[in-house]
Amino acid sequence: MDGYARTFLTAAGVALAATAAQAGNGDTLKAVQARGKLNCPGDIGSYLGFAEVDDKGNWKGLDIELCRAMATAIFGDPASVNIVPIDWAQRWPALQSGDIDIVIKASGGTLSRDTELGLQFSMSYYLGTTKVLAHKELGLSSLKDAEGGSVCLPAATTIETQVASYLEANGITMEIVALATNEEVSNAYFSGRCDTFAQWGPVVAIAASQAEDPDAHVLLPDVLALEPEVMIMRQGDDNWVDIANWTLSALLFAEQEGITSQNVDEIRANPPSAEVGKFLGATPGVGKGLGLSDDWAYNVIRKVGNYSEIFERSLGMDSPYRMPREMTALWKDGGVLFPLVFD
Amino acid sequence: MTQTTPTRAVPRRRGLWRRLRHDYAATPAAALVTLVCGTILVAIAWTLIDWAILRATFDPAAGREACRAAGGACWPVIAARWRVILFGLYPYDEQWRAALACLVVAAVILLSCLPRMWGLGRLAAIWATGTALFYLLMRGGLFGLTPVNEQQWGGLPLTLFVFVATAVIGMPMAIVLALMRRSSLPGIAIPAGLLIDAIRSLPLLSILFTCAIVLPLVLPDFLIGEKLYRVVFGAALFFAAYQAEIIRGGFQAIPRGQEEAAKALGLGWRQRLVRILLPQAFRLALPATINQFVIAFMETALIVVVGFMDLLASANTAFRTGEWTFAHVEVYAFIAAIYFAFVFGLSRYGAFLEARMDAGQQRS
Repeated sequence: MDGYARTFLTAAGVALAATAAQAGNGDTLKAVQARGKLNCPGDIGSYLGFAEVDDKGNWKGLDIELCRAMATAIFGDPASVNIVPIDWAQRWPALQSGDIDIVIKASGGTLSRDTELGLQFSMSYYLGTTKVLAHKELGLSSLKDAEGGSVCLPAATTIETQVASYLEANGITMEIVALATNEEVSNAYFSGRCDTFAQWGPVVAIAASQAEDPDAHVLLPDVLALEPEVMIMRQGDDNWVDIANWTLSALLFAEQEGITSQNVDEIRANPPSAEVGKFLGATPGVGKGLGLSDDWAYNVIRKVGNYSEIFERSLGMDSPYRMPREMTALWKDGGVLFPLVFD
Repeated sequence: MTQTTPTRAVPRRRGLWRRLRHDYAATPAAALVTLVCGTILVAIAWTLIDWAILRATFDPAAGREACRAAGGACWPVIAARWRVILFGLYPYDEQWRAALACLVVAAVILLSCLPRMWGLGRLAAIWATGTALFYLLMRGGLFGLTPVNEQQWGGLPLTLFVFVATAVIGMPMAIVLALMRRSSLPGIAIPAGLLIDAIRSLPLLSILFTCAIVLPLVLPDFLIGEKLYRVVFGAALFFAAYQAEIIRGGFQAIPRGQEEAAKALGLGWRQRLVRILLPQAFRLALPATINQFVIAFMETALIVVVGFMDLLASANTAFRTGEWTFAHVEVYAFIAAIYFAFVFGLSRYGAFLEARMDAGQQRS
């Protein structure tokens, strides 16, 4: 996406935010239920591990699975989604014009998105970090050692500003090689044109895992920036934000309690605690306040899986990328994710 | 094209070797240039053949490791992902419909390229049938075909649809705009000129965005329609503005005497236009028109920015998955071949038309 289109669409987004009627409380759920499908953004092309297309043309990836989880919470059926292929710059106009109901597209919560674009966010479902990959033969232990070297990065993105300010703050001078597409950037790095390669964490990790010799590259420990990825919705519909937050909480809570798609039926038949019993709909109450059925969380876990299952098959050990959870682990495993309490 | 001009050059009877020497190595400098260029060409050809055939992997079951070991092109990516490349997100079980729809478009284009089909009635019949068949196959909903939303269309059928619809809607608009701009009534000529210049001063991208995103906010609900058709309309408008100027250029190149002679013979406006002016204008504008068609075909790839999976976008999708990220060159080579086949066909057809029209010209 070039700068022109980005500017145009940002302007269109601001204009839409000013003109579009805000979503009223509960409106989105009603509209989705009337349509029978939840409209989520996919991608034009794909975003590895988050939204990609399998051999049969079906979408998969972490963002897609979260959308399926929400659809399952609403309809009890993960297939009740309609993945709309849209580009990055189109996210906001598409959301505001109602083409999609929610943006789950590796997008961070920012002040300007919240205020200028008139959007609101769920809790964070993934912590995106900006990281740097380096050729192992250079023997770098952190970015400081790369003084005088070069760094490849995607042009005109937040990555470029993050790298520049990190280098400046730490008094490192490096040559910045900014290139247009992801393929160009990684080709330039792997062909040896640059010493290092800066990108959003999952992108560099995936690039390293796909390299000819994955052991010839090392992910530097520097975290240049952190972006908490959130689900993003139109302002004004609190019920819709609740559904997003509680769907995410359900995935995390199930992981915390060891409930998986495999054992959910046993646990529901014989819940270890009143909280879990209510969560799985064995006793009533979990759905009413949200406008959902009482077995919504049970459906999500049985048909989609808990957060860990989703992560492992999208990005983790069951995927070609084999990424560790790191910060995106549950609080009890040393990460920063946590569910809210199902009381 | 001048093949039809009977140039009877006296055949110089010389051996092949002497002729080659005369053409490519007449002087030592020429010989050197031939040698250098020849070496470069052979080196490029060899690298390509080596990559694409000799060291390539063809076993459809081979994965990344096998391809890496062989070192050349990794064609199994096409075997695994060709349906994503060609049909994008069109439902897997229904993709035979998308394939048939592509054949329908190809058949319609081929039929209307045949000179014996050139007649308003015949062309209209071919296109009406073709469009109906294409739409029925792609959209479904009748005769037990599952409905498939326009949002799910993708790949080759979408690219063909956008191109053909742009040209078919844009061409009549272009003729009307060109005629309006030539009108002697300022009330008609000036608005047409303004419209053409306004459209030509906007980038296609912004027109597509406006049609896809801004129009729904402005138009009354019953006029909004499906996004695909709004975007096609925008592309057609853009095509028409440029094509109108090309046709106007054709009109201007016709000697004034032609129209005056027709008037003197008592031909009415319609007859002058249809029998005398338009055929000549089109003949004169043909090279530029073919150019415009080729550009329009290439520009279909822009619809990706308003959320359609055209051929290029579905190709991007095809290699951007865990197993195949390394194989983007192979996928691009594959779609480059598809684009090449279409555009080369188009320009050869243009050359055929020129030759045909030239022949008519020279008999007179």
